Amino acid sequence: MNALPPDRPAGLDDVSLSRRQLLRYSSLAAAAVGGSGLLAACGGGGGESGPQQKGGVLVHGATGGSAKDTLDPHRPVQNADIARASNLYEPLLFWDSDYRIAPAVAESVTPESDAKTWTIKLRQGVTFHNGKDVTPEDVLFTIRRVANPKAPTSAGGTLSQILDFDQTKKVDDTTIKVVLKQPYAILDYLLAEYTLGVIPEDFDLKNPVGTGAFKYKSFAPGKNSVFTRYDGYWGDQAFVDELHIQDFADPSAQVNALLAGQVQTIDNLPYNLIDSVKSQGSKVLVSNTGAWVPFTMRVDVKPFSDNRVRQAMRLIVDRQQMIDQALSGYGSLGNDLYAPFDPAYAKDLPQRQQDIDQAKSLLKSAGQDGLTVQLFTGDDIGSVAPATASLFVEQAKKAGVTVKKIVKTPFYGDDYLSYPFAQDFWNTRNYIPQAAVCAVKGATYNETHFDNSKFAGLLQSASAETDETKRNTLLQDAQKIEYDEGGFIIWGFRRQVDGYSSKVQGLKPSRYLPLGSYKFQNVSLTG
Amino acid sequence: MSTIDEFPTPELAVARRGAPAWTRQKRLVSGLVLTLIIVALAIFGPLLAPHGENEVVGPPYSKTGVLGTDYLGQDVFSRVLYGGLDVLVIALLGTLLGVVLGTIIGVVAAYAGGWWDEVIMRLNDVLLAFPQILLALVVLTAVASPKAWMIIVLVGLSHAPRVARVARGVALGIVSRDFVYAAEALGERRSRVILREVLPNMSAPLLAETGLRLTYSIGLVGGLAFLGFSTNPDGANWGQMINENRLGLASQPWSVLGPVLMIGLFCIGTNLLADGIAQLAHRTED
Repeated sequence: MNALPPDRPAGLDDVSLSRRQLLRYSSLAAAAVGGSGLLAACGGGGGESGPQQKGGVLVHGATGGSAKDTLDPHRPVQNADIARASNLYEPLLFWDSDYRIAPAVAESVTPESDAKTWTIKLRQGVTFHNGKDVTPEDVLFTIRRVANPKAPTSAGGTLSQILDFDQTKKVDDTTIKVVLKQPYAILDYLLAEYTLGVIPEDFDLKNPVGTGAFKYKSFAPGKNSVFTRYDGYWGDQAFVDELHIQDFADPSAQVNALLAGQVQTIDNLPYNLIDSVKSQGSKVLVSNTGAWVPFTMRVDVKPFSDNRVRQAMRLIVDRQQMIDQALSGYGSLGNDLYAPFDPAYAKDLPQRQQDIDQAKSLLKSAGQDGLTVQLFTGDDIGSVAPATASLFVEQAKKAGVTVKKIVKTPFYGDDYLSYPFAQDFWNTRNYIPQAAVCAVKGATYNETHFDNSKFAGLLQSASAETDETKRNTLLQDAQKIEYDEGGFIIWGFRRQVDGYSSKVQGLKPSRYLPLGSYKFQNVSLTG
Repeated sequence: MSTIDEFPTPELAVARRGAPAWTRQKRLVSGLVLTLIIVALAIFGPLLAPHGENEVVGPPYSKTGVLGTDYLGQDVFSRVLYGGLDVLVIALLGTLLGVVLGTIIGVVAAYAGGWWDEVIMRLNDVLLAFPQILLALVVLTAVASPKAWMIIVLVGLSHAPRVARVARGVALGIVSRDFVYAAEALGERRSRVILREVLPNMSAPLLAETGLRLTYSIGLVGGLAFLGFSTNPDGANWGQMINENRLGLASQPWSVLGPVLMIGLFCIGTNLLADGIAQLAHRTED
């Protein structure tokens, strides 16, 4: 999994390219090329030989989707939302395919030495789909929207607490000064999330505009959305004329649509179909990622409010069996911790393994002998979730725990975030931004309702720490708390496997999001 | 009890000819044998299964075992053996409920006649307009995890209007017979007349209808499980197995064909059985 430990992303460095940095990035690029080769050797590798040609309609079959689908750039929930947001909008920075920070709408994001004041330098010539230039006012509007203290979005949970709204302001036509109430050394991490797409001041969700390579044409929640190539795009223009993103609540319909040629790409191909899809003429893209499909235990409701029960559940899981059966071997062991690419990843903590005797003992001491719990899952989480839920039901029986699997349709409905015991999916993130959206009080997707003041303090201190070594130590202490008391069961990290038609060119593996981070502007069609 | 000559029961026909007439009915015998084999497999299959219902025995969609493995690496052969009992029990109980309800409605309508008959049968026609699976889906989509009794009741309710129409048709030919008038003239209560005089003379056509309904029930219960409405989302259940493994049809066809064959053979068996009973009834009529 960690074949390519990411270099510290641009972070405190200016991400604009000076000569010195050019040399530095050249070496990174060389590593990236090597890494891409390694990733490709994992079984993926999308790009076909021959020059890419313009034209055609690319239809992407997205996993999940429901009537709650959104085009809101700052509130995407499931894969279909993320795919749409990734093509319509762009953040100031973005995570590249090797999970390093690269410039996007911003040319550079630079901190002062105290990490309390940051300067954002906008890229010249970036326009919204309505033709207007991106201005500092738009960026400020975007940041204020996600960091709205009353209702922060997933990218704004942390920002809403640290941003000094009064002092953050435009400097000139291409420069913004961001002032924080406290030092925050990894602001660039937050600004690179796909959930922080830059939008104009007059943003209208009914006719949304962003700066992405595709512009909005139509949107039917739970069904289909259509985007056309944006000819004024600042980077390399998209090859295809139109991009359709089609929702698929059912993975079998999704795969059949690929095999029948009705869609050209699908994300999250069921692992047990890799050989079958290959044998029927389609191709697969395999990427090493930090993506995880956890079991989530709410720490504030019985029986999981008792840490002994949570620990017992973590000891019940046969992690290797999960990988072998649910991922067909396309994964690596997890240790109830996320962010495996983060330099601070606590790899020294003992690997947790199935220990039924200890699990029984813990349950007994908690007075939960013969525990019965409901496990909520759903097809819209992706095919891995229901499969691992089935495996967990059997594994739990060994410890005398009866797990009743409940399949919710849709899973991401009104009950999402209130299930006592459920599953979810997360893509690759580094530790601090991930914890900020899933493991602290008030986080947008805190499905375990984890609320530990010491943990939050460590996270806050680490966020303010400009010394990377000290920061990593603080983060490892925070991870120890999650390891000992957290509500996630993280049994492994899955390799991302996506399917695509043999007519598709230009797809490259990405550590960040499925299908080369959903950057469909790189995709062209043949025939 | 009086039994009219025009509708002798199979037992009477047997007695009259001095030989078991039903054994000469090839359809009936083959249907009965096939049905009994599948029922026996469903009941005793778990004892014969080489692996547990949810035991992982190899990689997903591999050739391990008699019929290979399924989407999760579970043994398909074992799951086929485990997967029938739930389907058959729910289908059988649902059918019985539907036949009992339908018969009561049909006989009451026929016996009451006039205004009552009209009202009951028009309401019945309204229910008939609903496709069977639709009624079940409307209810099951509203509950998080369906219980067995819910499926039984829904299957039964969806059958009742169809059985009622047949039962009424059969009963109409009986309620106007002299022995029914005679029983009424003797002051028998209506319920007693129905139970003692009318119903016994409907047994052959009702038995044939029951067989037919059982076939539909298997399809309905299997179909609901295929759509995800079963009592145990992880349990071996023929309908559910088809759904779970349908993506692997190309790479591991037995994971789908196994349960399909069982459902298919059972439907053929019960259908032949129903057909045979109907034929027997007709012949004895002649």
